Amino acid sequence: MSYEGVPGLVETNDAYGETTLVVVSARLVEACTYLRDEEGFDMLSDLTPTDYLGWGAKGVAGYIGTVSGRDLNHPGSQGLQALPERKPKRFSVNYHLLAIRPGAPRLRVQVWVEDGEPVPSVVSVWPTADWHEREAYDLMGIRFEGHPNLARIILEDDWEGYPLRKDYPIGGEPVRFSGEE
Amino acid sequence: MAIVERHRIYEGTRIPSPIPTVLEVPADLRASDDILQVNFGPNHPSTHGVLRLVVDLDGEKVVGLHAVIGYLHTGFEKSMESKTWWKGITFPERIDYVAFQNNEYVFVAAIEKLLGMEVPPKATWMRTLLCELNRIHSHLIWLGTSGLELGAISMFWYAFREREQILDLFELVTGYRMHTRYFQAGGLAEDIPRGFYPECRKFVERMPKAVDDYEAILDRNEIWMERTQGLGLLSAADAIALGQTGPVLRASGVDWDLRRQQPYLAYDQVDFVVPVYPNGDVYDRYRVHMDEMRQSTRIVAQCLDRLERMEGEPWIADDRKVVLPPREELHTSMESLIHHFKIVTEGYRVPEGEVYVTIESPRGELGCYVVSDGGPKPWRVKFRAPSFVALEATATCMADAYVADMIAVVGSLDTVMGEVDR
Amino acid sequence: MAVSGRPKRLREYGLKSERVLWPTKGPGAFEQEVGDLESSLGLTTLDKAVAWAQTKSMWPDTFGLACCAIEMMAIVSSRYDIARFGMEAFRSSPRQADLLIVSGRVAHKMAAPLRQIYDQMLEPKWVIAMGACASSGGMFNNYTTLQGVDKIVAVDIYVPGCPPRPEALMEGIIRLHERVQAGIPPAYEVRGVAS
Repeated sequence: MSYEGVPGLVETNDAYGETTLVVVSARLVEACTYLRDEEGFDMLSDLTPTDYLGWGAKGVAGYIGTVSGRDLNHPGSQGLQALPERKPKRFSVNYHLLAIRPGAPRLRVQVWVEDGEPVPSVVSVWPTADWHEREAYDLMGIRFEGHPNLARIILEDDWEGYPLRKDYPIGGEPVRFSGEE
Repeated sequence: MAIVERHRIYEGTRIPSPIPTVLEVPADLRASDDILQVNFGPNHPSTHGVLRLVVDLDGEKVVGLHAVIGYLHTGFEKSMESKTWWKGITFPERIDYVAFQNNEYVFVAAIEKLLGMEVPPKATWMRTLLCELNRIHSHLIWLGTSGLELGAISMFWYAFREREQILDLFELVTGYRMHTRYFQAGGLAEDIPRGFYPECRKFVERMPKAVDDYEAILDRNEIWMERTQGLGLLSAADAIALGQTGPVLRASGVDWDLRRQQPYLAYDQVDFVVPVYPNGDVYDRYRVHMDEMRQSTRIVAQCLDRLERMEGEPWIADDRKVVLPPREELHTSMESLIHHFKIVTEGYRVPEGEVYVTIESPRGELGCYVVSDGGPKPWRVKFRAPSFVALEATATCMADAYVADMIAVVGSLDTVMGEVDR
Repeated sequence: MAVSGRPKRLREYGLKSERVLWPTKGPGAFEQEVGDLESSLGLTTLDKAVAWAQTKSMWPDTFGLACCAIEMMAIVSSRYDIARFGMEAFRSSPRQADLLIVSGRVAHKMAAPLRQIYDQMLEPKWVIAMGACASSGGMFNNYTTLQGVDKIVAVDIYVPGCPPRPEALMEGIIRLHERVQAGIPPAYEVRGVAS
């Protein structure tokens, strides 16, 4: 399926049987409204922020081939380490869409933002985004513009910091000999 | 279209605005000073766990409602980023602690999708069987606790009687009653023990009669009908806008079940009916749960038929880079020893990429979004919890209801707080 | 049978427990301690009667948090039947409850309500930390999980497991009964909160 007409479309990726549309964050609401009304994606299944701080900092070295023919590194790399591709910005916000019709077509809309850059809220398009966006703000610190009630939802109201960020420590107590200190 | 709404449940939309998940007290009512704000705190007898509802009451009518969650936030997603893929499988089970094997499965399915692994048929059928047993288990707990909250106290004991039989089956297969950790990337951890099939058959024969018992207690019970019919209405359009799936969506007249629409495991090879009811109230959600229990028993019987003919087949994939070699080989083969060492200490590596895998858990669409950087640990794991989304619908369902109905409505949404807070 | 001085069999302590039905079982370390304490504390008949009454109807508070709560509900069910110990009446109000079974992981957000419920219970009160998460934080060693409920309340009995089988919880409850009948005071008198 091609989604040429989506406003603000930057690129389309297809991997593992899933289609990802990368969209400019300024035109996100327009794109989502288009997808809901014209393409029929009437349900927002999930909204996930991801922090890519430190992505590609260490190389991945692996075996060349396996019994099932799977190759972790690109062919011809001779098993030397490969670095994952760099990401455009620090945070990606992924919207997983579902169309309630036979065939269950799914789509991922992806928006890239830097720390401090706000993302337009899609609550006006899918009301279910309300709590998802609050959780993204609470745990990852991404501000959603136009959200009617952007407050912490999972952590206490006076919590400082955003735990799911990569520069936030995991916390807890040190455990001796666990190798995780 | 998959919507079978034969009649409109209500006109227009009841989703409150501007905040879709909060019922706001109208300004004139607030000014009249008649409003009592009551806190249904995190610890309350309704056994759904640690949910806090702040309710504004005008007499007995609920005019304002908002939910406070987060009292069971355990940091699953952050913890899983520091554990290898293999060791991380124990975490998802505890997210939805009532339908634990479904959670295990969704994470393992995401790993297998990234790895591109083929799972042997015996493992697929056994996973289907266990997921369906888990569905019955989850519905039994829902039935027992919902009945208990609404006053049908004896339902609790009836439902937990069958639940014990299911837990016996889990213990027989996996060694543990709950949080079984039986699924691995590639199949099952161990072969299916002898003696499981006859025991499971006995359960399959007893279960339909047990569901008959439950229906005899509740179906035509005047108090039950009075307390559940016509309450907690949710139209199909509102349900889809609010992201509802599972029994809540099916009780609002939408014929949507991921086992049918997007078959995974062996669901395209078994015969079952997806129950759909048109009225969108608490009673219909109850009926959907009851019918699903019957259908799950049918699926379990069909899985048993197939599995009994698969004695001696492999239960896990053969890929030694991901799957541990059999113990005996460690004495004779150097490669097996190395594989074992690498898989246990460093962990197997999963190729770079991101996937979003969804299954039909007893509560609705359970999704797992996984980002891998090619290493032995996940980069990001996110679980789309159906209960989290179901609680968003509380304000809509509670438009125009009494405080006594609140327990019935919140119960019918079948929420498990472990999932909500993760 | 007792050979000299210290009794060797559980029933000689005057305790009633299911292990009495296991004739070949000798006293374990726990029973030894309980027996030592009992003989050193020197209880009177009235104290013994009061302790007996307390254990025979020790009503728990409904404090189910997570997975352990489901196994706690299982002991109420007919197979494990906690009603034979007089404990099936789970009170929703902490004012009416004697026993707080903290079943499940405690998030920092929940720590304040937990302490509030504990404070609202009337003395004498006992606490069972059910499961690995309540005892020590379990498998969740992170920013949000309290590493053991004994950081905020004084715990009498720790029941390990993830989740513990209903029989394991039952053993914890019976040990608690045995402690009470032996005259051991509730935890808040013996120790404060762990640091």
